[in-house]
Amino acid sequence: METVIDLNCSLPGECTSLSPIALIWQDVLAQAMTGELVAAMNYTALSEICADSAGAADALEHAEGEQGHAAAFAAEGRKIGVDVPNNVGAKHWKRLREAFMRRIAERDFSGCLIVQEIMLESFAVASYGRAGKVAPGSLGRTFASIAAEEEEHIDHAMAILRTERALDAQRFDDKVYRLHFEVMTTLAEMLARECSHGHCEVCHGSCVKPSMSEIRLSAAELRGASLQQYLKTLDMLGLPGEVTLTWVSQLPV
Amino acid sequence: MGESIAGVTSQGQTTEVDFALVGHQESWRAASDVLAVLRGPEHTPLPEEEIKDILPWIPPRAVCHVGVGSIIGATARGLYIDSFIPPDRLEAAHTHDNIARVRGAAAYAIKERAKIVSLGGFSSILIEGNFDQLPERHGTVFTTGNTLTVGFIVQGVKKMCALEGRNLRRSTLLIVGATGDLGSGCARCLAPIVRRVLLSARNVERLRKLAAELEADGVQVEIATDLQRFSAEADVVICAASLASPSLLLGRIAPHALVCDAGYPKNLSPSAEMAGAKVFFGGLGQITGGLRFTPDFHGILNRHPFPDVVHGCLLEGMALALEGRFEPFSQGRGGITQERVDQIETIAARHGIFLAPLYNADGPVEDSVG
Repeated sequence: METVIDLNCSLPGECTSLSPIALIWQDVLAQAMTGELVAAMNYTALSEICADSAGAADALEHAEGEQGHAAAFAAEGRKIGVDVPNNVGAKHWKRLREAFMRRIAERDFSGCLIVQEIMLESFAVASYGRAGKVAPGSLGRTFASIAAEEEEHIDHAMAILRTERALDAQRFDDKVYRLHFEVMTTLAEMLARECSHGHCEVCHGSCVKPSMSEIRLSAAELRGASLQQYLKTLDMLGLPGEVTLTWVSQLPV
Repeated sequence: MGESIAGVTSQGQTTEVDFALVGHQESWRAASDVLAVLRGPEHTPLPEEEIKDILPWIPPRAVCHVGVGSIIGATARGLYIDSFIPPDRLEAAHTHDNIARVRGAAAYAIKERAKIVSLGGFSSILIEGNFDQLPERHGTVFTTGNTLTVGFIVQGVKKMCALEGRNLRRSTLLIVGATGDLGSGCARCLAPIVRRVLLSARNVERLRKLAAELEADGVQVEIATDLQRFSAEADVVICAASLASPSLLLGRIAPHALVCDAGYPKNLSPSAEMAGAKVFFGGLGQITGGLRFTPDFHGILNRHPFPDVVHGCLLEGMALALEGRFEPFSQGRGGITQERVDQIETIAARHGIFLAPLYNADGPVEDSVG
């Protein structure tokens, strides 16, 4: 076991005991790590339906990047004295993965980008960004730098998706809505104030949400920031704001 | 064109709109009702606690399309854009954030190529004294809409006096929030036709300046930053202060005073004890040529006991759009004159936009006066 660090300590060298705070971060890191591993699997699958070898190489590079993020989160866990578990088969993540794989089965490249880059990455960018602001030391820096990298992914996908929307906006928006309904409903349930449908299968013990105020985060804040990021991303794609507002308003809480 | 599953109708794909109305909700109840409409009848309304969690994160954006008709056949189409300022964050401590939100709403209107934008309620701060905060405009013009609001406040005061058999010329008029754009505009319009004017506001220098302007025209004026310090009791009161919530206690006013609450949010505290006073809401107009919201927000965005009633500040942009006059009619602070009020009232009336029936928190007042 690595050195056990109390996150309340300002200097890591001074810290010697595992704090309850570290256990909260363990669960937050577990969600982040699971998300990164799902993303890595998604990009690997995406590489198989790319139209050309350059696109496939790009997707595999993204997959490697996401695995690197997962490793970075695991390393941050070790620094605070916790192992970071992951469970890509946990119920919410499994549903999200299945939604993505349905697009793969349809060889729907832009559908895959919408699920991964517009929906899942909005969630990641916003959540990591908030975590980066409150997490101490290198943990905070890691969250912040990964948030910035994920945001670059969105920029990359945006150009491709804007081109597709320009061809037939109505058809494109209908597709986004179908995927929104399928994917964002699951994400909204994950981000709800309480896990009313039972254990998420990622937290190591009881649900971490009620304890998040101890690390100056809250499920409500992560949900709000994620939905805001999602709406802004849809705005950048050119979808009408009054329409996407209705979509988001109808999500479960 | 049939409706798509995304709800992106042909109307949602408009490339240009005549006007945009930028607003915000004045209470959590009002915000809840807006979100309930957006969720639709098949979804249960969100609990207020959830709304308080979610609303502050919503970026400024259009909520619905607005169509307005004129009694002379003109039509204009626009958008209602909500800045989603949380109703409990209107106080000064949040000014920076709120200006950023209004700026975002303004940018949204520009992106939608609105020709004219009315900035309702708190939103007017963006062009009352923060011109540098306006995004690059690309041909979109902005108005606070305050000139028409002043017109409807003044019309309402005159109508209430007539209904009550009061002689305005013998009245002592108190204006709370007198140095603001609305208050000073009301002072200029009404001072020449009342016996005496009492002006109240927080900034004594601005009060002195306005008093000097009115006194130069022979008006008897008294100023005070403290409402209790006036030497006389007012029998007509206009409340036009910029308050974060209904918290105003008037104190010394005459028994049976006529009190016009023209604030958004409302100025008067629900706990204000004004035995005998007749309170009514001011600054509201009614569209008689037709008003349509898509989706249907009737009674939600305009929460009044009469149909097609809208705040004057938003009506100004609609009236100018119907007239085809896309100009920044009301900008800056303290520049509203009787002449400008006459101009905008004439334009509004030509298109069937008139003073709304008077009402207060208990309902219509015109049936109960006398």
